[in-house]
Amino acid sequence: MNVLIVEDEKSLSHEIEIFLTGQGYNCDVAFNGRSASEKIFVNSYDFVLLDLGLPDYNGFDILKEAKDANRDSSFIILTARGHTDDKIKGLDLGADDYLAKPFSLMELHSRMHAITRRKHGLKVNTITIHDFIMDVQNRTIHCKGASVNLTKKEFDLLHYLALHKNRVLTRMQLSEHIWGDVLEEDFDSNYIDVHIKNLRKKLTAHAPVDWIETVRGIGYRVNF
Amino acid sequence: MKLQLKLAIYNAISKALIILAIGLILPLLVESVVLNHIDKRLEARRDLILKKIKLGGLDQAILEEDCSFDDYNIFKEEFIHIDGLNVSFNNVPKSSIAIEDWSIGDQVVTERVIKQPFIYDNQWYMLNIGEGMSTIGQLKTTISKFTLLVMVIVVLVSIFIDIAFVRLTLKPFNLIVSNKLKNIKDPTSFTPQVISTSTFEFKHLDESINEMMKKMKDLFTVEKEFISNVSHELLTPISILQNRLENIVADSKTPEEVSIKIIESQKTLSRLSRIIRALLLISKIENEQYLKDEAVAVRSTINEAIHELEDRLDEKKIAVVFDIRDDFTVQRANHSLLHILFFNLLNNAIKYNKQGGKITLTGQLNSEGYMLEIADTGCGIQAKHLTDIFDRFKRFNAEDKNSYGLGLPIVKTIANFHHIAVSVRSVPDEGTTFTLKFTA
Repeated sequence: MNVLIVEDEKSLSHEIEIFLTGQGYNCDVAFNGRSASEKIFVNSYDFVLLDLGLPDYNGFDILKEAKDANRDSSFIILTARGHTDDKIKGLDLGADDYLAKPFSLMELHSRMHAITRRKHGLKVNTITIHDFIMDVQNRTIHCKGASVNLTKKEFDLLHYLALHKNRVLTRMQLSEHIWGDVLEEDFDSNYIDVHIKNLRKKLTAHAPVDWIETVRGIGYRVNF
Repeated sequence: MKLQLKLAIYNAISKALIILAIGLILPLLVESVVLNHIDKRLEARRDLILKKIKLGGLDQAILEEDCSFDDYNIFKEEFIHIDGLNVSFNNVPKSSIAIEDWSIGDQVVTERVIKQPFIYDNQWYMLNIGEGMSTIGQLKTTISKFTLLVMVIVVLVSIFIDIAFVRLTLKPFNLIVSNKLKNIKDPTSFTPQVISTSTFEFKHLDESINEMMKKMKDLFTVEKEFISNVSHELLTPISILQNRLENIVADSKTPEEVSIKIIESQKTLSRLSRIIRALLLISKIENEQYLKDEAVAVRSTINEAIHELEDRLDEKKIAVVFDIRDDFTVQRANHSLLHILFFNLLNNAIKYNKQGGKITLTGQLNSEGYMLEIADTGCGIQAKHLTDIFDRFKRFNAEDKNSYGLGLPIVKTIANFHHIAVSVRSVPDEGTTFTLKFTA
């Protein structure tokens, strides 16, 4: 899949590029609005990651231009401006999602994943993890025909880990995913341990879960 | 006191004083004019009589004047009286004119009397001509009464006219105050419309306010831009760092012990970004950058927050006593801000509660509006800290381990924004109760 990263901050667009390339995306970068506008016009992108605070262009104009030109790229707005109405305006103009800086790359990836899923209207949208089958659409999980009762946060946690399988996710990344923008400066990411403990307990009742791995001092990993 | 009333009273008093002065001076003036008139007449009469005496002799004159030596006409209140004087030349009294009490018959009357000595047949005589004064007294009372009446009427009429006039004159002033000062909450919603007035001072005031508001509006815009720029300037570098650290941790070549250190740095970074976002939130609320265009029900908003905190409640085995008897709808509110308010208060009630504790929520309508209480069974707050917990710049001693962070300053700011009064009471080791008072 082709991604255009529109971001005037070169270091940032570089980090995003490294990450997304590692995830198997083809990345292209634009450091200003003019070049972004040209690239969107010439090429076909699946995703445009759009920074609103560009030096030469209002980010919204790029979005408008692209939508007017009937480009079916998915837009994710990335902004540090923190205007309350930016989010609403962006989504109104046809953006698919909105991420406030600073954001986690894992979070960006899961949002892109969700958009892809939505766009292609995948009817059967399941993830098989060993003996368990996660139905992402209906938010259920089964093991050998028996349903496992998970809370919303437990499901989200497992889904997020499964999405980034074989990769360690830190408590910070996990808690930011399930808690979102909680404005607590001494935010306690150790709540994650409690959730994982409960998750393990619920799943172990059906089948062994040695595939949920605790990486000491770092976080958790789901291997399959 | 209203300026309108002040001016009316001032005008009434000043007019009353002027009329009073006129009322006092006028009778005196009238008296002197009348006396002058009487004197002229008396002098003319004296001259006429003396001439007649000179020409026709004393007896003839008396005859012609139709008066005796001692004549008094009761209707005209006048008399002519001629006395023979038994004095030598040197002792002849001088001529004079004065008010005298004069006895005529058994009557004593106050008269203006002119006295003129004259010589006739080598004999000195004194001619006395008198004219009554009672008319003057009457005139004086009439004038006094009349002026008093006029005074009262003029004062009353002038008060009414003054009030009406002042009200009319002050109308632009009231318009300026209500349109430009009272009803303006946010300088950005100000429109510099000129209020028409012919009064120079009000025009001046109006222009000055327009100018001031324009300056404030500009400052406000600058401030908003500043906040927006600050968030961009601060959050972008954090974003770069965070993503770079994420990439390093994700890299399989990174040794584990390095990863652990980086994760610690990520935590610090995350804390930094949360602090910045909290401060930005506060300043954005204070700069009225949030809309209040929703009607928000308290009960359902609290329920949402409780639902979101369910796992934290479970983890600490905290029971929630939900005693919100009456619901209340905050008109003109911002739902996401009120959600943050309840979330923060409940989150604190969990965080500082003991294992297996309790949170009691009570909400009821009363005569003043609506009162919501969130009470926990936690460690409580020391009395000396109670006044400071809402202050974003006050931090407690690190050894107290009682840093409440920015959660409560945010609560306070959101409450102020919605005109909700927040108060707190606490008993150490028993619990803390936050009270929110919503005015209907």
